Amino acid sequence: MEKKGFMKIQMTARQRNDRIFAGALLLPSVLITVVFILIPVVDSVVKSFLDYEVRNIISGTPGEWNNFDNYIRLFRNGRLGMSIVNTLAFVVGVVVVQFLLGMALALILNSNIKFARFVRSIMMAPWVVPTIISGLIWMWLYQPQYGLLKYLIQIFTGGSVTDFAILNNPQTAMLGIAIAALWKQIPLTTLLLVSGLTNVSEDLLEAATIDGAGSVRKFFSITIPSIMSVIKITVSMSIIENFKQFPLFWTMTGGGPDNSTTTLAILSYREAFVSNNFGSGAAVTTIWMLLMIVVIFVYNRIFRNVDMN
Amino acid sequence: MKKRVLALTMALTMAFLTACSGGGGQSGTAADTGGGESGGASAETGGNSAVDAEITEPVTIKFANYAVLEAGYDVYWNGLLEKFHEENPNITVELVTAPYGEIVNTIINMAGGGDKVDVIFGENDWIPTLVDAGLAAPVENVLSQELVADIYPNILEACSMDGVAYGVPMYISPFLMYYNKDLFEQAGLDPNSPPTTYDEMLEIAPKLAALTTEDGNQVYPFGLTTASVAVSGACLTSSVYNFGGTVLDEEGNLAIDQGFRDAVEMWKTLDDNGYNPQNSKLKDLRNLFALGQLAMYYDQSWGYNGISSINPDAESFIASAAPLKGGDGTGESVLQAGTLMVVDNGDAQKAAVAKLVDFIMSEEMLTEYFETVSPAYPARQSMADLEVIADSPILAGAADSVSNLKTVTFVPALSDLNLELCTLAQAVTVSGTDVDTAIADFETAARGILE
Repeated sequence: MEKKGFMKIQMTARQRNDRIFAGALLLPSVLITVVFILIPVVDSVVKSFLDYEVRNIISGTPGEWNNFDNYIRLFRNGRLGMSIVNTLAFVVGVVVVQFLLGMALALILNSNIKFARFVRSIMMAPWVVPTIISGLIWMWLYQPQYGLLKYLIQIFTGGSVTDFAILNNPQTAMLGIAIAALWKQIPLTTLLLVSGLTNVSEDLLEAATIDGAGSVRKFFSITIPSIMSVIKITVSMSIIENFKQFPLFWTMTGGGPDNSTTTLAILSYREAFVSNNFGSGAAVTTIWMLLMIVVIFVYNRIFRNVDMN
Repeated sequence: MKKRVLALTMALTMAFLTACSGGGGQSGTAADTGGGESGGASAETGGNSAVDAEITEPVTIKFANYAVLEAGYDVYWNGLLEKFHEENPNITVELVTAPYGEIVNTIINMAGGGDKVDVIFGENDWIPTLVDAGLAAPVENVLSQELVADIYPNILEACSMDGVAYGVPMYISPFLMYYNKDLFEQAGLDPNSPPTTYDEMLEIAPKLAALTTEDGNQVYPFGLTTASVAVSGACLTSSVYNFGGTVLDEEGNLAIDQGFRDAVEMWKTLDDNGYNPQNSKLKDLRNLFALGQLAMYYDQSWGYNGISSINPDAESFIASAAPLKGGDGTGESVLQAGTLMVVDNGDAQKAAVAKLVDFIMSEEMLTEYFETVSPAYPARQSMADLEVIADSPILAGAADSVSNLKTVTFVPALSDLNLELCTLAQAVTVSGTDVDTAIADFETAARGILE
């Protein structure tokens, strides 16, 4: 009896040591997260309620409470609503198309086609190119007077369309940036999905084939559920990447024409670094962050249900 | 157990290194803030004595200059600093560089860490931001009286806020009109008689629009930048001034008048007729002009560098003219200037800064700049007859327009307001919004920016 009790005490002490050890291992990560992420986020939220400009930074004087004026001004001048709509439209459009095209490419590369491995290596090239460089390349392709796209459109329309300028038209400018974003991001999506597809059980697929299941049925009933965890990660990465997309917008259109590509990223940059009003810039980023939290929350809810099914 | 100890040691090492790397940056800044080497000047700063003063002890000054990173400008600036150091061995000039679009934020971030630069080379449009930040000092407190008094009064006024000058332009240009003499000839127009008013320009535009290049590409008669970049907004402001209009009154409030409306109507007219390449940046217009696809356009004089880098033969067909007059306007324009702004970091630094700025603004160095780097007009009255300008076939046509400049009211959010002007131009052109609605939308957005 005593020996048993002693053993119990021994186990508890070991558990306690394990916990201390685990805590010690975690401490650097926790510290870094708090110092470099949590504190700046809280600081930014606090500043969004203050008059905080360049002179405050340089003189070291704290900002002054301004009765929600940063938020009131943003809602009153009409640019915030438009930026939210543009951001959501871009994120939804790019994420959906990116997933569909990425999945299609992944299925092709996962089949036994020749040179699949070679193609996999080559197709990563756009992902390696820095985003700003991608933007500049696509601007040249889109150039309205001598760009490749204009030339191709001219050929395919038999010369009936001669002045196609995708970034100059408020109706098509967002599409132009979305294409550049897709070109850059699809390779990574495809690679992640291919890695998921390689782990789908061949036994299950074979059994389903014997049971008479067709390709579509096998895809939706076996392949997709088997790689759901990979899909979740891939899509959430894509959502985050496109929510914070700034370089493509700033390089290619600067938010124009006529504000048609002004997203929350562009608006926050203009408020903070063009108008030099950091309080107002912080107000935009706070709204931006809240919106992102809501989107990720909804996304996780949807995918949780799918998992349960 | 050994593995645990090893893992724990590694984790702690990582945390320690992270902490050290952060701290290293801070201590570096602190050391810099200390002012580096102590300097001493044997005379007070300000006035001519600042330049004449002998720097008796070593002093280091920080010079923020984006141009040093740009091909075509780097050789000149590095050569200038070498010569300056030879003449002033006790003054060390430490360059602070960043790309054009980032240099202001770099200066502000450094100052936020207590590390202020001493001289800034940039656009005169940066003055309100730097004054608002408490960085730019009145030039008369730092530079020689002789130099400040030699700057054209209207140019100095254009670099002033509340009557105090915060910068001296190294070189200046209005938004002048470049035109292609060859295209004028091809259209049956006199290449030596460019239009002087918008109406005259609209009269000859159909003849120019009917031309095509050898490759069969369209020729645009007139280029006005409207893409979403701040300099396009400055050019659009200049266009408003051409019509005698205003954007901001002297107090910095929005002041939309008939001249403003006339200008916006003109932007729409140009677009409706397909005369202006839509939504173009200045560099797009320079490309088109260099390739013979654009007959006339507004640019800064140094835009010629962009043209000649694409077409080295451009000198054979390029000419300049004064900005066009529209409505009741006299063709006034906005000053564009490569400007030197100074920061007050104490007497020793100020004396060294005064010497550096005086050296940069000397006739020898400016002549070399205009000859080897970029065509522009000097801001110093004593250099009005500089041979390199008088003999320039590129600049001669617009020389008089330097005296027809209108001061822009400086507000801290001037760059953002300029971007909003671009949005207005895009609304009446690519979006097809009617002028009244577009101006009303602009007013709402601009008031939000100016509040």
